[in-house]
Parts: sequence; structure tokens; C-alpha cells
Amino acid sequence: MAITEKNIMNRLYLVAGGLLVLAIAVVVKLVDIQMVQGEKYKELALSKTEKMFTIEPNRGNLYSEDGSLLAASVPKYDIRFDAQTVSQENFENNVAALSDSLGKLFERPSSYYRQLFRKARANGNRYKLVARNVGYLDYVRIKQFPLFNLGPYKGGFIETHRVVREYPLGKMAARSIGYERVDENGYYTRVGLDGAFGETYLRGKEGKRLKQKIAKGQWKPVGLDNIVEPKDGLDVVSTIDVNIQDIAHHELLKQLEKYKADHGCVVVMETETGEIKAISNLGRTSEGKYYEKLNYAVGESHEPGSTFKLMSMVAALEDKVVDTSTVIDTEKGRYRIYDGVVKDTKWGGYGKITLSKAFAVSSNVAFAKIINENYKEQPEKFVNRLMNMGLHKKLGLPIIGEGDPVIRYPGDKGWSGISLGWMSHGYEVSLTPIQTLAFYNAIANNGEYVKPRMIQEVREGNKVVQRFDKEVLNSSICSKETVKKVQQLLKDVVEKDYGTGHRMYSKNFSMAGKTGTTQKNYVEKNPDKLAYISSFAGYFPADNPKYSCIVVIHEPDKQEGYYGADVSGPVFKSMAQKIHAISPMVDEVDNRIKEDVELDKDYQQYYAQVQKKYSTVPNVKGMSGMDAISLLENLGIEVEVHGNGKVKNQSVNQGTNIKQVKKIVLELS
Amino acid sequence: MISSSHNADKKVLEIAELNEEVRKLKSEFFEARSSVQQLKLESTLREVVAEKGLVPSQNPPRKIKVKSAE
Repeated sequence: MAITEKNIMNRLYLVAGGLLVLAIAVVVKLVDIQMVQGEKYKELALSKTEKMFTIEPNRGNLYSEDGSLLAASVPKYDIRFDAQTVSQENFENNVAALSDSLGKLFERPSSYYRQLFRKARANGNRYKLVARNVGYLDYVRIKQFPLFNLGPYKGGFIETHRVVREYPLGKMAARSIGYERVDENGYYTRVGLDGAFGETYLRGKEGKRLKQKIAKGQWKPVGLDNIVEPKDGLDVVSTIDVNIQDIAHHELLKQLEKYKADHGCVVVMETETGEIKAISNLGRTSEGKYYEKLNYAVGESHEPGSTFKLMSMVAALEDKVVDTSTVIDTEKGRYRIYDGVVKDTKWGGYGKITLSKAFAVSSNVAFAKIINENYKEQPEKFVNRLMNMGLHKKLGLPIIGEGDPVIRYPGDKGWSGISLGWMSHGYEVSLTPIQTLAFYNAIANNGEYVKPRMIQEVREGNKVVQRFDKEVLNSSICSKETVKKVQQLLKDVVEKDYGTGHRMYSKNFSMAGKTGTTQKNYVEKNPDKLAYISSFAGYFPADNPKYSCIVVIHEPDKQEGYYGADVSGPVFKSMAQKIHAISPMVDEVDNRIKEDVELDKDYQQYYAQVQKKYSTVPNVKGMSGMDAISLLENLGIEVEVHGNGKVKNQSVNQGTNIKQVKKIVLELS
Repeated sequence: MISSSHNADKKVLEIAELNEEVRKLKSEFFEARSSVQQLKLESTLREVVAEKGLVPSQNPPRKIKVKSAE
């Protein structure tokens, strides 16, 4: 085949066409990458060299009322040792001294550390752990130890630190102080105060900072305007009083151990303001030890038993269906309502007693009878009364997990013909300890129902950002007359010798309250499973109460005892006793002495004499010895005295030049 | 221009130093405060003074206030 021009041209077109298609494909792809997918790739490129870093803010501290720390974020240090960077000379000279110092600090034999360092040195370990979780003060000391004081390069000292949340009170009030944890999905576990106030105050705001990748995998901050400054969390001052908390914790622990109880709680509240001064919750482990397991005081709603008689009493008095002097026949301690029998603890009953005595001896029959008989035609009237006092509502505490109170309404599921009779003494209703306490506090506070409060103020450094005042839920839950009557009843429980709380009586200080011994797990009617809740709710002093307090102990060992006054009472009493013992009694003494005219005149005369300037010896005859001595001695003359009384004779006569006189002898009579 | 940039650098270093100081002081405060409050607790005190045969008082202290003429 001859090579013709046409042939060549055809081939050329083919090649050119091919190139053109290729070129177009390249352009299309370029445009695609640049325009269509451009954003994505630009971001990718940037992320390799620049990155937004979050700067964690410092979490605020949680303080008690007196400024003690309850929870704080602090750095903890790990100390490591680089065994290679240290010169042989430095190592040999210092290793013994360093080991001694460390041994002393951590209470370990110094040989332990010597071996540790020698081994690290032999193995050429560059990152040998010396101590973990060291606090700041110890860290500063360790830094000053021989060898380590030479710094990171010569001394091989390496420190890393991280911020941890510390609780200086340890296990005390742990559930109420609480914590806040966040998992990888951003879900927060919030417990106690630390959890409750985390989001609003303590957490602070994260900062943002753009950083650029530089050599060796390091990141360098870029620019100034991209930064969002981290904002540290605010400090929260709670109402907890460390001293009262300490007492509450230890007293509760003592009693739980004594009665081998399952769990228990104490809450102390300031009557007027509703400030929670102490809240302690202890639960038993399988080994029989106790620790803050759950916040029972806030979370555990249970049948209150006899402490609820106060609520029934207030309702009945408000409706004027009974009075404290009404006489009730307790009928040998048994009272039948349909198929249920209400029993009194005293075998054979209390006979005919007044209602006030029935309250003091805690007669179930008397209460079942007055409530059932007076309200059975219109049970909603009784329930409405309870609801008007707010007993069916949660208190709205900041701590998460407040238990639901249960007050049933006629017609509700679970309501029956015996409900009234059982509600009257605290069954078929359910309240948390802190809800019961809030009600008792309202009685102590003359009817004003204040919300229990755990936060006092929010601070930024020393500056108060927000203050919290008392919150009144109901300015008057019942009439003044009713309050006065039930206050007397609560006093009688302790003061009268027949009262269930009389064992707690003390002549040194007063208290008022109500015992409760509630049956638990009674449905199965199995005596082995039957357990008790022993409680005591009240306030002190009985007149002008300052604090109210509730103690609830679940499932004490029945062999040891289970009555409210025996199990919970002593804790209550200790709280009352302690607070009594730390509040000084003030006696005022009037020490205004009437002015003595004669004395004043004498003094004025003497004062006038002293004011004068003397160059010669003054006449001191007739002056009192005391005045004469001070006058003459102030002139620099030695004085000798015989006798006492007024000056009769002076050995140097008036008018002699002082400079010539050394000594004067005075005769007094 | 150059001097102001150096100035800014200096400020940054100063801020870092001060921040470090704040952190140290905070930690120091925390450690000191928590050990003091631990010592102050009645339960701790009670143990310490028990060796000397002392127990907490059952009765409150009496404060005598003397009214004077002024």
C-alpha cells in the first residue's frame, strides 16, 4: 500500500481527535473536582493542616455554707523518671538521697526506690513511673528533691497532669454532693448537687482555638480572632453545714451498725429558711459495711406510717371534726373496717383516751376511727384537705430523682373502703423522707411551708453572681390555732411520760416530734419477710424551733429492736443535743456602776496636781499615800513609806529644789 | 509593626505565666483547705482529744455579756 497524502491525513485526524477527547475529559474532570466536589476537598486539605481545638473550661467548685470545699477540680500529677538523660555522676551522687526523700514522703522503705531507679537505669527506661496521682503540695516537694531539682534534662524529671474532681469530705454526703459524668455519646449522668447545678453554673463554656499543623506532629495556634475564650464554671455555695453534716453522718452510721439495718437517712433543715444543713444517706453492703449508696432522703418514697398521723391530725382539726380533747374509745386496741383490722401495739388497747393522748401514745385505732368515722361519707373531703396542703406534689428539688408522693383520690386505682382508715396512720400513702420533713418544718414554722433548699449562692471568685432566697410553697397550710395545737401534741410525745418518744427526753434541752414504726413487706403475711421502718420526725428546740430533722432507718434487725424511738430517736436526739451544745447561751450582766461623786472629786484634785510642773518638792501632807507616791515618783524621787492612810509627815520640806533631793520618807497614818 | 508584634508575644507569655500561677495557687488553696477542713471536723477532733481524756461538752458554752456605760 502506497503512502498517499490522504492516508496520512486520515491518521492524523484520528490522533488529533483522540487527543481532543482526552483533553476534554481532563477539563471535565478538572471542573468536576474544582467546582462540584471542590468544597469537600478544600475542607479535607485544610483539616490536614488546620484544626479547631476545644479548650476545656475549669469546672466550678462546690462549697459548703462556711466555705469548706465539697467538690473541686484540681490537677493531679504523675511523676516519671527518664533514666537515660541523667549523667552517671549526677545519678550516683543523688540516687540515695532521692530514694530516702521519696521513701519518707510515701512511707515506703527507701530501698524500694533505690531498686526502682537502678533497674530503670540498667534497662534504659525513659518513662519510669515513680508516683501516681500526686497532689499539688507533694508535687512541689518532689520537684525539690535531689536529682529531680535539676530539671527535666539533667535530672530526668517528667511530670504529666490531668484535672480530676476531688471530694475532700470523702464518702460523707457523697450522694448529695454528687457528680457529673459524660459518656462518649454526650449523655450526662447527673447525681446530687454537682450534677444538678452542672449545666447551669459549674460546667462553664468550652473555648475554641484554631491550630495549624507544624513539624513533628505539633499544633500551633493561629491568629487571634478565631479564638473563643473558655469561660470557667461558676462556684456554687450550698447550704450544707460541714459540722452538722459530720455529726449526722457519724450518728447515723453508729445507729445503723448497732441495729444492723439495711439503710437509713438523716436530713436536717433550718426551720425558717428551709436550708438543708445536712443530708446523710447510708446503705449496707453485702459485707455489712455502710456507704452512701443512694439518695434515700430524696428518692425513696415509702409508706410513712405513724409520722403521717400529724397530717391526719391537722386535716381533722382544720375540718373541726374533732378536737385534741375529744375522747376516743380505743376498744381494746382492735378496730374493724370491712375485712381489715387496725391494731394498736399495746395489747388490750389504751381504753378511753383523749385524742392528744392518742397522738402521744401513737394509737392506730384512735386515728383510724376518727378519720374513718368522720369522713367515710365524703372521703374526698379528707383527701382534698391533704392535697390542699400540697402533700401530693413533689417539692421540685434540684437533685434529680425526687420520689413521687402518693396520695390516692377516692375512685383512683387502689382506693377501697379501708383506704381512709389506713391512710389515717400512714399506710396506702407514700412520701419521701424530705417531703415528710418539709411538712413537719411547716408546723415548726407556724404554718409556713417552705421549700427545702440546697443552694445559697453562685459565685465567680469572690463576686456573688446570684443569691437564692427562701421559697415559700404555701404561706399557711393551716390555721394558727391548729398549728398551736399540734405543736403542743408534738411536744407531748417527748415530754409526757406516756409519750412514745419519752425515752429521748432530756431536761437540758427540748425537742418535739413524732415517732414512726412502719411495717414493710406486710402483703405476703410472712413473718420472716416482715420488716420495719423506724422513723422520727420533728424539730428543736420545742419552742421557737431553729431546726427540723427527720431520721428514717429501714429494716433494723428485729432482734435488736425496731421502734422509732429506739432506732431513729437517738440519732435525732444527738442532732438536737449537738446543735444545743454549740449554740452559746448568752447571759447579760448589767455592770453600769453609779458614778461616785466623792471619788471623782478626789481624782480631779489629784489630776490637777499631776498636771502642774514642779521644780521644787510639793506639799503632799494630807494627800492619800497612793497619790503622794505616784506624784513624787513621777518627779524622779525615791519614796519610802511607813504606815498607811494619809500623809502626816514628809522628810523633805515643801519648796526644796528637786535636783537636791534623792529620797523622801513619808509617814502615813 | 515589629515592636508591637513582639509586645503581643510578650503579653501572650505573660498571660500563660499568670494562668499557670493561678492554677498553682488554686491547687495550693485546695490542698490546704481540704486538709484543714478535715482536721477541723468534729469526728477527727474527737479522736485526737480522746487520748487526752477529753470529750465534747454536753452543755453549751455560756457567754456573759457585760453591758457597759458607753
